[in-house]
Parts: sequence; C-alpha cells; structure tokens
Amino acid sequence: MRLHVKQLNYQIDKTPILKDISLEIGEGEFVGLVGPNGCGKSTLLKAIYRTYKPERDTVFVDGKDVCGLAAREMAKEIAVMAQENSVEFDLEVMDMVMYGRYSHRKFLEGEKKEDREICLRFIREVGLEGYEHRSYLSLSGGEKQRVLLARALVQESRLIVLDEPTNHLDIRFQYQIMQTLKKQGITIFASIHDLNLAAMYCDRILLMEQGQIIRSGTPAEVITEENIERIFGVRAQITVNGLTGKLQVYYLPVE
Amino acid sequence: MASQHKIRSRTQYLTLIAGICVLIVIAACLSILIGAVEINPGEIGKIIVNRATGRELFARTWEDNVETIIWNIRFPRVLMACIVGAGLSVCGVLMQALTKNSLADPYVLGISSGASAGAVCAIILGVFRFAGGYSTIFGATAGAAVSITLSLKIASMKGRITSTRLVLAGIATSALFTALTNLMIYGFHTGSDKTKTAQYWMVGSLSGASWGKTGYVAIVFAVAIVIIMLFVRDLDVLLLGDDVAENLGVNTKRIKLVIILMATVLTGVVVSVSGVIGFIGLVVPHMVRTVVGSKHKRLIPAVILVGGLFTMMADVVSRVIVAPEELPIGIISALIGAPFFLYLIRSSKAR
Repeated sequence: MRLHVKQLNYQIDKTPILKDISLEIGEGEFVGLVGPNGCGKSTLLKAIYRTYKPERDTVFVDGKDVCGLAAREMAKEIAVMAQENSVEFDLEVMDMVMYGRYSHRKFLEGEKKEDREICLRFIREVGLEGYEHRSYLSLSGGEKQRVLLARALVQESRLIVLDEPTNHLDIRFQYQIMQTLKKQGITIFASIHDLNLAAMYCDRILLMEQGQIIRSGTPAEVITEENIERIFGVRAQITVNGLTGKLQVYYLPVE
Repeated sequence: MASQHKIRSRTQYLTLIAGICVLIVIAACLSILIGAVEINPGEIGKIIVNRATGRELFARTWEDNVETIIWNIRFPRVLMACIVGAGLSVCGVLMQALTKNSLADPYVLGISSGASAGAVCAIILGVFRFAGGYSTIFGATAGAAVSITLSLKIASMKGRITSTRLVLAGIATSALFTALTNLMIYGFHTGSDKTKTAQYWMVGSLSGASWGKTGYVAIVFAVAIVIIMLFVRDLDVLLLGDDVAENLGVNTKRIKLVIILMATVLTGVVVSVSGVIGFIGLVVPHMVRTVVGSKHKRLIPAVILVGGLFTMMADVVSRVIVAPEELPIGIISALIGAPFFLYLIRSSKAR
C-alpha cells in the first residue's frame, strides 16, 4: 500500500473541509480525484503532502505516518506538483529542475553528474529540451507547468501527488503530461478537472463532494451520466470511444 | 527581474570576482589617501607592509604622525567600511530569502533601528554592564533580536508576506525603536551634545572606527559567513516559498532559524560600530543579483565584495563632498538608496 488515509478530518477557520476521509492507493496505481470546485480536492491533497498539517495516524505513506517524517524523508516518499506563483527571484529552468534533487544530496554535497543527467532527461521528457538556460519567469504558464512536472519527476519518489497538473495547458501538453506520468510506472494521485482526461488515463477515480469521497471505482463505475448530473448539475451523455475503447463524456446543453 | 545577461560560466564569475577585488584595492588606496592631512601615495604601502609584518622592511621617510593617521585612523576605517557594508549586504540577502521579497533589508524592516536602540540602551542606561567592554555589541544584538521578531510578526500576521505589509511592518518597527532611542538620549544622556549623539546612532557614521572595533566585527562577520555558506542550498530552495521548499525536502524551520540568528547577530554587531546606515542591504544584493543570479553560492561572495566596495566608496564621498567637514555616511547611502527603493517598489512582483 503506497498511500493510506484513515478517517482524515480537516478544518479551516472552524469550517470542516474534509470529513472523515479514508482512502487507499496501491503500488503503481494511477488514481484521479474529481469533484466540483470547492469540494475539498486541493485541501485533501495538501493534507496528504503536509502543507496542511494532518492529525497523527491519519495519513500513511508506505506504512509510515507522514507526521513523523523529516522533510527530507518525506520528499523521498512523495513528490508534489501544485500551482506555484510565488517566485519573486528569477532562476534558470535547469536550476529549478535541479531543486527536485535536493532530497537526494547530502549536506554540503555538490551537484553530481548523475543529477544533471536525470534533470536533462526529464526536461526532455516534458518537451522543454533547449530551455535549460531560459529564465523561469519568462516562460508561459504551460511551460512553467511542465518545468514543475520535470522537477517533481527528478525527485524520483514512488508516489507523486499532483494538483490539477493539466491546468493552463493546451490539448497537446495535457495529453503529453498524462502520458509522461503514466509511463513512469509510479503511483500517481492527481486531481483532474477534465473528466475525459481522467477517464482515459486513470485506473481508478475518486469522486468527491462536500469534503467526502462519495464514489470510488473504475472510470466506468464512477463517471456515469447519473453522477455527473447529480454532482456537477450538468446533463451528459457517455459513450465508449470506438478508437480508444475509453469513455467519452459529452456535455449536453441545459434545456 | 528576468534577465538573460547573467554570468553563467565559472570563469566569467571568477573574473568578475577578481575584478571587484582589484577595484576594492584601488578604492582602499584612494580612501586612505584622501583626507585633511596630505600623504604621499608611495608611503602608504610601505607603512602598511611595515606594520603588518611588524618589521621595518622599508626605511622610514615619513613622520610619526603620518604613520599614526594611516595605520590607526584611516586603515581601520577602510576595513570597517568594508566589513560594515558586506555585513549589511549579506543581511539583506538573508532577509530577502526569508521573506521572498527583494524589498527586505535590515534597515527597511526596522532591525537596524532596533539594534541602534539596543546599543544606546546599553551605553546610556548601562543595562548590559555584565558584558563588560562588549556591552554595546550585546545591547545592539539584543535590540536586533527584539525588532526582527516584532517586524516579522507584524509582516506575516495574515499568512503570506506581501510587499505592502513588509514595508508597513518596517515603518512601524523603525518608528518605535527610533523613538525609544531618542527618548533615552534626550531623557537620560548625561553628556553635553545630545543632538550629535542622537544623530550618530540614527544616521550612521564610520567616524568611530578603530582597530579594536574592526577586530571584533571582523571575527563575528567571518564566523557568520562560514555558517551561512553551509546553508546556501537551503537558501536557494527557500526562495521558492516555504511550502515548496518543505515539499522538496528542506527543513524550513532550521534554515529560517539560521537566517534569523545570523541576520540578528550581523546587524547587531554592525550597528554597534556604525549606527544605522540604511539601504545598503537593499541596493547591493539587487545589483549583484542582476549579474550573477540568485544562487546563493555565487550571490553571497559577490555581495560581500560589492557591499564592501560600495560602502568604501560611499565613505570616500562622505568625506570629500563637504570637506573639510565630514558627512555621516548614512546620508550618502540614503541619497542613493531611497530612490532605488522606490524603483524596487515599482518593479516588485509580489504586491
């Protein structure tokens, strides 16, 4: 079991955001988290990667309580890709990606050749070859997003948690990012807006509503016309795509 | 602050460093030369070599008082200008990493004023008498510790530190401690020239330089720099934000503690010998960043040298601009720094 959440509750300003959440994610699973805005997806992910401090004995990675892990050990277990907009000082793409190797380097240890190679490999994988010396702040939103993905991947953790990784991206890179993730053979837990994208890549989908996980199952079990109408308030038609064999969601106009 | 013209290769960087070192030597010679008593340039080197080696390698062709002026007055002053400038600049870098904001520096955040109040408190009220000859430095460091805590508390009261909040916190802290300094000087100082004393502590001056002071400032500075250089990688990652740094494996509590301790000690010690010299920690790091980037392993050594050079030059200007009178160096640094501060506010990203 890679990730195990047990009866997790979380409040912000005395408003309960997460209510008694339990979930398990097995080794190598690609799990998508879907749900309407404000249902607590980001909060759940943040509580898992400790930006919000969860209570003891609620979140376990590889059997270890995250509350007991030092930052460095934690970084070896979980890599995080979230929205970032607080970079005030400029730096190069290569440096940005190299920070993902922080947890692998000992105190006072310099950059190794191996570190550089890994960074270059993942910069290439996210389609940013030749961008190594570009300034991070000069990049477009989508390019920044891909740099952050590369940084999360060079961390070489066995679990990667992503908060809407395909935000800001055009279609090509939405699929490229998902494809890159899938290829790594690591455990992935990502919140995803686009139900078609989720249906195509996820092994399992968790559907969240008002701080609770109300459905968990294969895309076909969770993404149903009935669930979409009930949770998102939108009528939908779902078919199986003849070419990919995956679910295809069509949203229907309100009559 | 995006720049494509940064120095990338090691050779370029080392050339730059060497270039700054040459400029420092030139500025130092200039600084020693300039003054009320005219001195033969050739004699400066000879006197310094003689004194530094403790032998008479060069035959004495100069008068005793010339030697005293050079060795006991001007030379320590040059060294002190260098260390004071370097110390304040490094503090600027540290505060900027802590707040992720290029507007942060010990002066803007009111830490210098706090240190100054502490120093005055030690001198006038004799509060830290147990520390003996080090009571001023002790007082200044204590003052810096109180003000840094207060200023950061106010600045980060509602989560993220914005530029507005940072500047406001600094203004409030600075006003409070300046008022306390004045209160102590005008209320309890028994000396004759209260205005002059107050001015010394509030505007900053290098006129009190001596070998004794330079010595202890140099030691504290050296120790602090060694400690800071051990944490350059943590500082780099911290610039991405506390949460991100934590996710990447940085022990953010530890690095923040290191930053606060080092900034407190450096500011305290520097202010105890020079009073409040403003804006250096703002101007110097910004200039250096645009050339060498924000990786601290390169940034800090360059900032130390440029900070030293900048302050030495400012000191020269302060001595010649209204000669034979001497202007407190704080006035020069503020004349350069304040417009720069406005420019930084304009271009600041974190609003």
